[in-house]
Amino acid sequence: MFLYLVKRLLRSVITLFIILTVVFVLVRQMPISGYFPNYEKMSEAQIKNGLHEMKLDLPMHEQLFYFYKDLLTKGDLGMSRIYRNNVPVAEILAPKIPISIKLGSLSLLVALLFGLPLGVIMARNKGKFLDQLGTGYIVVIEAVPAAVYYLFIQLFGTELLGMPLINSPGTFTTSGNTAAWILPVLSMSLGNTAYYAMWIRRYVVDESRKDYVTLARMKGMSSGKILSRHVFRNAFVPMIQYIPTSFLNTVIGSIYIESLYGVPGMGGLLVDVVKRQDNAMVLGIVLLYACVGIIGLIFGDILMVTLDPRISLTKRGGNR
Amino acid sequence: MKHASVDRLEKSLSVTLEEMLASPHAFEPAVFSEQDVERTGMSNYSYWRSTFIAFRKRTFAMFLLCLVLTILVFTFVQPHLPGQYDPVLVNNNEMGLPLKNQQPNETFLMGTNNIGQDIWARLWAGTRTSLTIGISVAVIEAIIGIFIGVLWGYIRKLDFILTEAYNVLDNIPTTLVLILVSFIMRPGMQTIIFALSLTGWIGMARFIRNQIIIIRDRDYNIASRCLGTGAFRIILRNLLPYLVSVIMLRMALSIPGAIGSEVFVTYIGLGLPATIPSLGNLINTGRSLMMSPNLRYQLIYPTILLSIVTISFYVIGNAFSDAADPKNHT
Amino acid sequence: MRDIILSIQNLNVKFSLRGKTLHAIRDVSLDVYRAESLAIVGESGSGKSVLNKNLVGLLDPNGRIDSGDILYYKKASSASRTTDESVRAESCVNLARLKKEKDWLPIRGREICMIPQDPMTSLNPLKTIGAQLYETVKLHHGMNARQTKEACLSILNDVRIDLPEKRYYQYPHELSGGMRQRIAIAIAIACRPRILICDEPTTALDVTIQAQVLTLLKEIKDKYHLTILFITHDLGVVANIAERVAVMYAGDIVEIGTVDDIFYTPAHPYTWALLSSLPQLCSRGEPLLAIKGTPPSLFKEIQGDPFALRNPNALNIDHMFMPPYYKISDTHQARSWLLDPRAPKVSMPAVIDKIKHLGGTADAV
Repeated sequence: MFLYLVKRLLRSVITLFIILTVVFVLVRQMPISGYFPNYEKMSEAQIKNGLHEMKLDLPMHEQLFYFYKDLLTKGDLGMSRIYRNNVPVAEILAPKIPISIKLGSLSLLVALLFGLPLGVIMARNKGKFLDQLGTGYIVVIEAVPAAVYYLFIQLFGTELLGMPLINSPGTFTTSGNTAAWILPVLSMSLGNTAYYAMWIRRYVVDESRKDYVTLARMKGMSSGKILSRHVFRNAFVPMIQYIPTSFLNTVIGSIYIESLYGVPGMGGLLVDVVKRQDNAMVLGIVLLYACVGIIGLIFGDILMVTLDPRISLTKRGGNR
Repeated sequence: MKHASVDRLEKSLSVTLEEMLASPHAFEPAVFSEQDVERTGMSNYSYWRSTFIAFRKRTFAMFLLCLVLTILVFTFVQPHLPGQYDPVLVNNNEMGLPLKNQQPNETFLMGTNNIGQDIWARLWAGTRTSLTIGISVAVIEAIIGIFIGVLWGYIRKLDFILTEAYNVLDNIPTTLVLILVSFIMRPGMQTIIFALSLTGWIGMARFIRNQIIIIRDRDYNIASRCLGTGAFRIILRNLLPYLVSVIMLRMALSIPGAIGSEVFVTYIGLGLPATIPSLGNLINTGRSLMMSPNLRYQLIYPTILLSIVTISFYVIGNAFSDAADPKNHT
Repeated sequence: MRDIILSIQNLNVKFSLRGKTLHAIRDVSLDVYRAESLAIVGESGSGKSVLNKNLVGLLDPNGRIDSGDILYYKKASSASRTTDESVRAESCVNLARLKKEKDWLPIRGREICMIPQDPMTSLNPLKTIGAQLYETVKLHHGMNARQTKEACLSILNDVRIDLPEKRYYQYPHELSGGMRQRIAIAIAIACRPRILICDEPTTALDVTIQAQVLTLLKEIKDKYHLTILFITHDLGVVANIAERVAVMYAGDIVEIGTVDDIFYTPAHPYTWALLSSLPQLCSRGEPLLAIKGTPPSLFKEIQGDPFALRNPNALNIDHMFMPPYYKISDTHQARSWLLDPRAPKVSMPAVIDKIKHLGGTADAV
């Protein structure tokens, strides 16, 4: 188990390294105007001086070296130049992280609370009205771009709840003002709810057909008990592999939702700095999001191992 | 000699058991026909015909298929119809002022937008753009994905390297790639298609690889290899036809995905320039106006069309994959 | 008169499949005697599995009992012949009339239990052997935790599991196929059923393990006074363990008799064909006999004897009317016009005679 974790972490570090390097190199291809808030008014010499100051005139591999050196030794992600002039990226991001985490984890929680029961109910009524209703929901959520239905939830949700369409700054904090969180969390959970419902339905249906369920029924066990003691758990284990994906979905969702509702998290910020071409900020936020995605993957793997005795991580494969 | 089954048919018409028992021929040996024996379990089965029949039974999917085809054809026909406006033309009134935010009326079927362009024309031009993006991405994804997936699955030496590469690539959130590529490259159709194809093939390749590994070592393929069939021929003749239905399902599903991504990229300001109407552009313009309820038509029309298109592809894809499953064939 | 535990009477089972009706069980009648072991043989699709699924109420949702009864006698069937209605109702259940899950719960497990075919999938992979057995014992016998565990261990002992204490805490994937089949049997007998249905109990196992499992089944049959129904297409299993054999073809029982009846004096052409295709009977250099063609489609109404088309000895009447059962001896009857006194004398293929020479008993098959 320990060995596995080490290997897993190592692989994640390599992944992160590759992502960061690629992103770093890509961002450096950007026009240099992205580093100066008042590029037009600057003289040649000023620009050259500025580039030198930021080590941007060095060859790529040296730039990369300094970037990693600063990141690893000082946790320094560089300076924001345009979004806020000469403020460390880390300093800007720090207060935003807890807000994004709150939004993300609340929406995941809501998705699990609704998605799992929905999927189980659908599986148990397979082919009947409830199943078709649920399938309709899943089709709409999966097929229609989130970008579109988020808008409608915002449009009609705010009207319904009597809330302002645009939230004033300071609405979203890590504590308090619960009402304001309802719509963002709900919107963001819709996708994952559909996702969970779809997969748990499929797995419950699959598992219900297995021989061990037949044997359990042969024992004279009621179907309710079989569901809770055998089927649900067995259906849930393969579901775990979708948790990383839902983390990634959450990332996507949060970028959009935060910017729609003016939630002061990282997602809204990313949209902002992309529009304003603040290279250092883009790099910093991408790094954070990549980390979230990778932590999700590791988390999913570990959960899978603890719940499924068949998967042995120290040995290759295991007997399935 | 009379064919046994014909003989039987003639006799069966009216005879009762009593009559039969009384008949002197009742206990005579019947003609044994080898042909008849073999016929008992045979049926004339054709895979694609059965798939088509199974698909046709799904009336809703069939309806959506017709709808999507109509929409697709109409996007190309629409500009050539009489009395249509140019989608990028700013319409001015007699005084030379732009006809901004006109409610839907007789001249402008769906009204005009905030700078006076005809929404009806923009809607169809936008649908054309979005469908082009979606279909291009689906095709590119399929080509790259199938190519790499086949290599990955069929050539054992490549498996380790490609699997490790996959583990890294799959961990990269696609949205971030999308954002970065659009951020770095000049906004435009090519950029969006490139950015979406850049990540989309990974899933397809992985999927093809898994399928190929499952069927690669099935007995009929081993037999085929033993008979000296070349790898290329096995892939082309034995493996890919088996995967056609699932490949088509994935392609159908990546179309709504690509259309959605375009909307998303446009929203964060990295999408197509305003000169190229797209559903993303239209929705984004509509969104900025949704504060005023009487202008919401500018948001609602494009979203309705977009939802119809994406849901249709999704439903058609799933219905097709069900229909292509021999288990659902009669 | 032997004591009947289960009596299937004129059972018809139909399935609706893609808008068509499949007549899977066609007017089957069968009596099962208490504490006997009866094998139901037939090729795939002959309806043997469907027949048995009816006994435990596990018919697929698209299937239904069209007509007929399945009478299950809890107590000696003589009791059910009394005029006392209440005694009768209590001791006899018509399984064909049970619809709801609630009605089935008291039957499944404690009266009739079935072991699924594949031991690799019949245990929950995510639960320990102990947990699955414990749950079963707990369900049927109100005992405290310690007693329950002891009962589990003793059952594991009964099914010849070595190191039961260790196995108790292992997961199914840590055990071999034969061992898993024993665990499945252990779970089944933990319910203390009266009838045990084994669906292809050895098909998925190695040949060496097969014999062990069959021996085990014989042992527990005696120890727990079980009535065992075997569903199989393996005539070796039949010869090995069954006392009586029912041969099924196209949803009907075409011949039924003791093992000796079926192996030494088979009367139905289908049984002949089945026995002739035994590899053991094949002489070196001769092609193995195979039955030509496939069983008739049960979607269509079958006219006459369903085997007629594949039967080289078919008579004219076979193609038109279903033969009745002809009684050959007290234990043996078959459904074939060839047994009619008016029919021409057709003797069974000579190759079947070789069974006698394979050994003193049918065991050698």
